[in-house]
Amino acid sequence: MSANDVLAVSFSFLTNVDFWINVGVLATTYGVFALGIQLNVGTTGIFNFGQAGFMAAGSYAMGIMVVRWDVPFWVALLGGIAVAAVAGILVGLPSLRLRADYFAISTLAFSEIVRYVADNWDGLTGGNLGLFGYTDSWNAISVRIDGWLEHLGIAPHFLLPLLVVNLALFLVLAAFVALLVRSPWGRVLNAIREDEDAARALGKNTFLYKLQSLSLSAALAALAGYMLAINISILSPANFDPVLTAYGYVIVILGGLGSYFGVVLGSFFLIFLLESTRYLELPLSDARVAALRFMIVGLVLMALVVFRPQGIFGKREELILRSRG
Amino acid sequence: MSKRFAGVLAVDRASFTVAQGSITALIGPNGAGKSTLFNVVTGFERGDGGDVYLDGRSIYGRAPHSLARRGMVRTFQLTKALAVMSVLDNMLLAAPSPGERLGLAAVRPAWRGVERRARARALELLSVFGLAEKADDYAGTLSGGQRKLLELARAEMLEPRLMLLDEPLAGVNRTLGRALLDHIQRLRQDRRVTIVLIEHDIDVVMRHSDAVVVMGDGHVITTGPPDEVRRDPRVIEAYLGKEQASELENDG
Repeated sequence: MSANDVLAVSFSFLTNVDFWINVGVLATTYGVFALGIQLNVGTTGIFNFGQAGFMAAGSYAMGIMVVRWDVPFWVALLGGIAVAAVAGILVGLPSLRLRADYFAISTLAFSEIVRYVADNWDGLTGGNLGLFGYTDSWNAISVRIDGWLEHLGIAPHFLLPLLVVNLALFLVLAAFVALLVRSPWGRVLNAIREDEDAARALGKNTFLYKLQSLSLSAALAALAGYMLAINISILSPANFDPVLTAYGYVIVILGGLGSYFGVVLGSFFLIFLLESTRYLELPLSDARVAALRFMIVGLVLMALVVFRPQGIFGKREELILRSRG
Repeated sequence: MSKRFAGVLAVDRASFTVAQGSITALIGPNGAGKSTLFNVVTGFERGDGGDVYLDGRSIYGRAPHSLARRGMVRTFQLTKALAVMSVLDNMLLAAPSPGERLGLAAVRPAWRGVERRARARALELLSVFGLAEKADDYAGTLSGGQRKLLELARAEMLEPRLMLLDEPLAGVNRTLGRALLDHIQRLRQDRRVTIVLIEHDIDVVMRHSDAVVVMGDGHVITTGPPDEVRRDPRVIEAYLGKEQASELENDG
């Protein structure tokens, strides 16, 4: 092997439709997930590190309802969101009164507890063999969407219907949350982030608002969970590792704290980066290439923090004002 | 209104009454327990015994946000102007609105009218304080004195019946300070707002307050009209210091 062969990057994947469909499906999934994190961290100022746990709670609740209890799919969808939202409230009630860092640790602990329960309660969740068999209703919808697309002259591709649904859902949710945050309710959340005591002194029950923020974020995580569940057709505890929450944070920082449009761009950018680095042909084992991919993401994040700490759509002024206090 | 309060450590069995519609100054050397007393009265800190009455009803231990809604508003010694929000947003935050409920937040028509009226009122109030041009600027770009004004204006948006001001004039230049005091007087006159202020400037205290409460080492040393208090030997000794005491003696 000559020196010229050490690194080979084939760019042909960029013209591969399936690559872009995959990027789109994952980006929208992580994007909805990150919307919740933005709501918590960027808008309300609470450091929710349990988002993966809420995603798991919602997904597994839906899966269990369909597969084990024969609940109709649409009811199960609502049920999963409800379970996640209630989980948000139950987690928030004891932990939101804690100092910021202790709250973060509590949510992380919750996330891991969900994962361990999913791993060990085989009878209910299928353990690490996974839970499957909930996609029947989706398959019917998917076929129908394929039909519509064919009418428009678009050839069927694997996961294209999911991309269509995910994209629509993601954009609608992003717009919805952005609108919510522009309301007086959102204004209170912003105030809580800046100075909770000031908000309390002005008559706001800040504990209640933080609880609502966490619960809404959990519901968003559940929706992201559905996107993932349908994508991979089988739920497994390994899918809900806390690293997912870390990805969510990277997206939020990338796009700019507080910017929901930034979440849209940030999620596509991050997933593109993660997925395109699969095509690096290096004289390394697969496992090492996988590790290298994460390193690349880490380097990008570091560069971002150094050269553009406010993210793509963040406001540098706000960063300065906040540090001055 | 009457307030009786007792607690250990920072505030040791302090007890006093505040008359409605009055301007009462709470004075005392640093560490006398004045801010702590404010914190316990407004629910930001838990006291260790005693009671606080507002209009005859006990409010001891109630959460700060519910007290603010009942018409008792406080400001802070280190201003809590929300730096990364606009001056106008700081003001609008104070105005109650149906849009503050999650259920209605997404339904703009439900709160659009209230928001518009609150905006108009906020801009009016800001112009009274000379901050109208800064309405869309970040509050963090205001000077220290302007932030004090903003905090006062913001407190007023809540239409309080009782205002507890923690050193409203600290770090404010004379001109601004005079405007602030005029405004406080007007609040009392036109809207019968009761005011309690923690203040270090004796001049201000003497000239603008109806009653003075003197604290030292966590105790209430004495209360009364300013003229009486300044002549009280205990106050002179504990707070004004020997030099100032003799100065006052010479002034008569």
